[in-house]
Amino acid sequence: MNPWPVVLADLRALRWVAWIAPLLVAIAVSVGVALSAQERGLRQATAQAASDFDLLIGAPGSQTQLVLTAVYLQPEALPLLDGAVLPALANDPRVKAAAPIAFGDISRGYPIVGTTAAFVTRWGRIKPSEGRVFAQEGEAVVGADVRLAIGDAITPSHAHAGQRHPLGIESPEEARHRHEGVRYAVVGRLPRFGSPWDRAILVPVESVWETHGLGNGHAAEDIPIGPPFDGARVPGVPAIVVKPNTVADAYVLRGQYRQGGTMAFFPAEVLVSVYRTLGDVRDLLLVAAVLNDVVVFAAVAILLLALAGLRRRRYAVLRALGASRLYVILTAWLGAVAILAAGCAAGLALAQLTSLAVIHLIEARTGLALPAAIALPDALPIVGLMALGSLLALMPALAAFRIPVADALRHG
Amino acid sequence: MRSSDVYEGAAPPSRLSVEGLCVDRIEAGRVAGAILSDVHFALEPGATAIITGPSGAGKTTLLYAVAGLLQPDRGGVRWGGSDIAAWPERRRDRWRRDAVGLVFQDFQLFPELGVVDNILLPIRFDRGRTPAALRERAHALAERVGVAAATARAGALSPGEQQRVAVARALIRRPALLLADEPTASLDPENGARVADILLGMASEARATLLIVSHDPALLARVGTIYRLEAGRLAAATGRAP
Repeated sequence: MNPWPVVLADLRALRWVAWIAPLLVAIAVSVGVALSAQERGLRQATAQAASDFDLLIGAPGSQTQLVLTAVYLQPEALPLLDGAVLPALANDPRVKAAAPIAFGDISRGYPIVGTTAAFVTRWGRIKPSEGRVFAQEGEAVVGADVRLAIGDAITPSHAHAGQRHPLGIESPEEARHRHEGVRYAVVGRLPRFGSPWDRAILVPVESVWETHGLGNGHAAEDIPIGPPFDGARVPGVPAIVVKPNTVADAYVLRGQYRQGGTMAFFPAEVLVSVYRTLGDVRDLLLVAAVLNDVVVFAAVAILLLALAGLRRRRYAVLRALGASRLYVILTAWLGAVAILAAGCAAGLALAQLTSLAVIHLIEARTGLALPAAIALPDALPIVGLMALGSLLALMPALAAFRIPVADALRHG
Repeated sequence: MRSSDVYEGAAPPSRLSVEGLCVDRIEAGRVAGAILSDVHFALEPGATAIITGPSGAGKTTLLYAVAGLLQPDRGGVRWGGSDIAAWPERRRDRWRRDAVGLVFQDFQLFPELGVVDNILLPIRFDRGRTPAALRERAHALAERVGVAAATARAGALSPGEQQRVAVARALIRRPALLLADEPTASLDPENGARVADILLGMASEARATLLIVSHDPALLARVGTIYRLEAGRLAAATGRAP
């Protein structure tokens, strides 16, 4: 049998309802899918951005704030850690590498981050996409998204916590706080990380210290930049990134630097607790979204049920012309399922569109590059909803099944 | 049954006989009289007859009972040797599909479908694909009843055209029995006469048995056998030499 011509005729007879009903379903469905996709994307992007930060050491305070500032470069004044920790870590056999991270200045809205050449290349994992890494004070390497060219010179300005600066231009506020006399020349550019570091200007940590009149962390002026630092001369630092030799070493180091005026933790720990909260919020919103879907599906099913009542005569004509009960049920059911399926498909498209918009927004605001919008796990609940909707669609179909033909032919 | 694409001989012509047919009038769940009582008549294969009578006499009920659309309370409708009322519903559905063509007073086309799709509708009930030969037959039928086959929406046709398409739809499967319920009652005399021409002419060409319910004098004048139904009883049959 071929119920499609009748299904098509029924859909045409619905006129605008045949467009509005799937649209309602689409809007309902897209909320849940987009929500699930965003939350997953945010997890992946944040975890990816934190991947080179095995162990963080800082002064006691908020771990979350330290992660936000050191990993995601959200400007905040952090308590400083005794600089002597740095040479101690350098001599620790459990430490493969350690690098200070110092903040506080900006240029054209981009944060200036002081660190070592080794951490700029993420412990040798990456190479500059253009130019080279800084080799002496006064040189800078820029992130992939920084709108500066190699050879450009910049002057840092003192930044104030909590202030947002437009990217790529020097605001009047920034100009007022310029460290006159300090200049950096851009010598290289890094490949894209998909993290806020794509918008950072990386300079030798010694330069940051000197800019603020704290010396250079070495015993003399002419010692090349980078470790080893001189324990007696290293000023306080807000954060140190440590790459331990082994997992066991990581736990020992974390235990050791949890006391004596320092705090040590794995950024992953903070992320896990943030994700847990994020997940709770997502679950709550998803439950709301699913309830929303069920209500809309039920409303559409009831609408179709009412239509099945109006179509009694039509179904009776089909029976009178020789259609079996199965044929009539199938046409009523397929019509309803077609509306729901069209709604779900449009919902996926709508979710993809909103996700792309949100991804763009998040990247513009934080520099976090969220992965491609909708993935299979986000769309899987749709399968469940379709199954539920197909069951609900049986209601109008069964209503079509029960009509007494001769009676419906006469009285409609 | 599907060996032939054009249903040639799908339902062999058979004798239709209505024997002691009774349909009770049910009111508030109780028998409150009779719609049809003890109706007897028979039609030889290829014969044409009209059932006439005043409104409420049970004409349409009789037609629906003959089509197997309602179950008589007593008596039976025999097609060939079998009592169709005794068949299971699925068998009656199949019989209606294969052997019966129905024409309604108010056409009952699918207004959203085109002319050809309306004519082909009974084919869809048991075929996934419509063979080219049947499509051609649908076009030929549309031409035969004088309606443009390319019309995209049957709802846009005039009443007369719609009823002619309905006749074509009833004939697509070459039924051995054509049933028409007041086929001209919703039409003006001119269009009514045209539909009557087509109905009588095509039934005779197809050698199909034709049973019409009508009180249209113009139609009555053209048919040899007339049964008069009054208050549920078949009062008289007037016959003319064919």
